[in-house]
Amino acid sequence: MKMGEPLLNKISFLIPGFILIVIFVVYPIVATIILSFNINPVPGIDVTGGKAPGLENYYKVLSSPKFINPYGLKTLSFPMGAIIHNIIWIAIHLPLTIILGLLIAVLLQNVKGGSIIRSFIFLGMVIPMIVGGLLIQFSFDKDLGVVNLFLKIIGLGWLAKSWTIYPDTALLSLILGSVWLWTGFSVTMYSAGLASIPKEIIEAAIVDGADFKTILFKIIVPLLKPVTLTVMAMTILWDLKIFDIVYVSTQGGPGGASMVLALLMYDYFARVQHYPMAATVAAILTVITLPVVIFWIKMVTKGESK
Amino acid sequence: MEGQSRFIIAVVIALIIGIVIGYGVGFATIGPSVTTKTVIQTTTVTKYVTQTSPATVVTTLTVPTTVVRAPMTLVVIGPWAGAEMEAFMEVLKAFEREHPNIKLEYRIYRAEDLASVAPPQFAAKMAPGDVIFTAWGWWVKKMGERGHLYDLSKLVNTGEFIKGIFDSVKSGDKIYGLPFTAWAKPGFWYRKSLFQKYGLEPPMTWDDFLKLLDKLKGELGGPPIVTGDGVGWPISDVTEHFLITFGGPELQLKLIKGEVKFADPQVREIFEKYIVPLLKKSYFSEPIEWTRALELWWQGKYALYFMGTWLTGMVKNPEDLGFFPLPGCKGVVMGTDYIIVPKYTKHPKEALLLAKWLATEGQRVHAGTKAGKFATWLKVGIEDHWKPMQEVFKKLKDKMPLPDLDDSVGGDWQKLFWDQLKLLWVDPGKLDQVLNTLTTNFPKK
Repeated sequence: MKMGEPLLNKISFLIPGFILIVIFVVYPIVATIILSFNINPVPGIDVTGGKAPGLENYYKVLSSPKFINPYGLKTLSFPMGAIIHNIIWIAIHLPLTIILGLLIAVLLQNVKGGSIIRSFIFLGMVIPMIVGGLLIQFSFDKDLGVVNLFLKIIGLGWLAKSWTIYPDTALLSLILGSVWLWTGFSVTMYSAGLASIPKEIIEAAIVDGADFKTILFKIIVPLLKPVTLTVMAMTILWDLKIFDIVYVSTQGGPGGASMVLALLMYDYFARVQHYPMAATVAAILTVITLPVVIFWIKMVTKGESK
Repeated sequence: MEGQSRFIIAVVIALIIGIVIGYGVGFATIGPSVTTKTVIQTTTVTKYVTQTSPATVVTTLTVPTTVVRAPMTLVVIGPWAGAEMEAFMEVLKAFEREHPNIKLEYRIYRAEDLASVAPPQFAAKMAPGDVIFTAWGWWVKKMGERGHLYDLSKLVNTGEFIKGIFDSVKSGDKIYGLPFTAWAKPGFWYRKSLFQKYGLEPPMTWDDFLKLLDKLKGELGGPPIVTGDGVGWPISDVTEHFLITFGGPELQLKLIKGEVKFADPQVREIFEKYIVPLLKKSYFSEPIEWTRALELWWQGKYALYFMGTWLTGMVKNPEDLGFFPLPGCKGVVMGTDYIIVPKYTKHPKEALLLAKWLATEGQRVHAGTKAGKFATWLKVGIEDHWKPMQEVFKKLKDKMPLPDLDDSVGGDWQKLFWDQLKLLWVDPGKLDQVLNTLTTNFPKK
């Protein structure tokens, strides 16, 4: 048997996928980055409006109050700018997702009917995000919303209002809504992780007199570290590209108080029809997400090699 | 193994070099896009009519009135759903009866969705529909100037339409959209039965209006005016009504042209003296999605609703409807849905035939339905309109028709205007911020 034959076979299997990836993944990414510098990515089709190549779009986007609003930052009032809103989103959403996911998974581990409850929690993940956005809008509605109903029941009726229409609460309500939509993911991940922990370890700890707190923080949490890192990476990526629920429920308003990067990109693309500016926001978004992706890939490959 | 790795690396490098060379060759051989002039062809139709516009059109164009071909389907895109769509379907059916060989398929696209979806399709020389309706004149003009739409200037006699209706879709001597029926945003709607119940009358002065609001707030135990919401246009409509009432029709026109800024003392005074106090006294509700707001208002939770005339076709009993403009208001915002024909339609002759029919005889059909619209084609008489609209017309005939502010300015500023007004509605203390934002972001000429 010749040495080259198996290699050629392997390559012949790889080439179709490779070509598809180049056409549908690599090329659009490269084209977007090229376009962000005011260079037409498709020969013969002018989408830059004849502007000279350069960094003009980056200057415009980065200095725009839609991206970072110095006044909002100084006074700690909304809008603070899309990038800050995304960071706030991560800062609130990430810990809540991890804590809730872990707690619910642990609590449901040995509960009868736990899988049914997990299915209900997972519902948030399977409904389309557009519907999720509408549900968030209704949930925080003054008259129809379950959140305001709950507030009234516990005696906090004075807080009842349509949360998504006020600048100081619009972003917060969307973030809280997204916790509900995304927690199903972390619960599922942690449940799978918990199932992989050998029972003997827990049982040995119980025999040694360890309480629930000790078992949770000294055994379960450290053993679930790979799961936590995956949940973290996926949640940050999800938060950075968040679009649907904002578009449907607030359109980034009021007054830009819930504007996020992906919606800013969409606005430049669809409303202003300034494609190079949209490409610039996309390129910035890519640069921001890249470290997270690299970290996650490294972590996964490290885990596999172990 | 080392040999295998080298082979793989060589293949990958060869592929990359191939792509780069291919790209370069493509770049070198494909020339820049060429803008071509499209002429309306009229050679394959069986019957022609020659029309000459008495006003501005100097050349003569033959337009088809009947096209005899094998049965085919045209896709018509419009923004109407629900009751509004039902009214529009009557128009399409009337056309199909007159032209049995042309079937019409209706698809719903809101103006904001169309403005997002269509430009990339146009750039790829494709069209989402053969005949398209949109209320955004600025967008029609923009797409026309980019060469995506047929010039329809010679398709109708512009002198037969309401004066000024073509202004926003005109570029030089070209007209990229034909007007369909028009709506008006005449004032605050109320249920006559509710006013009778509380012994109320439409106000004649601003003080009367304040007293009315005060009394209604007491009777209803909450805000008397419901604020419609959606993407934001209902709030901009009521704001424009205040600006026209207290600044006169000319203020609306100057704001559209950018001759008066929102931070101008005259505009600021209207906000400070009339709009903000009403907001601070909670006479307006929180913004509520406009169709739900309509239900709540009709059920009696709210007493007043600022909305366009299409509302007449959306209520159960139009005879119970009354409206009043703010006392002293001399203008009324009117707008139309423009009919456009993309150059990329596969059936240009039939599409142009339909566009012409819709802008003329189609309006007669539509005005007679429960659409709540007025005809912009002057050959449609007031007697051709649905009865409740005849009543509305009588009340509005002395008002000066004005273009919609945000629909005229358009672009990113339109969304900003809606968004900033929403902010003002929930936080009237941010008036300075709102007016400054609207001023600094107003499109420069």
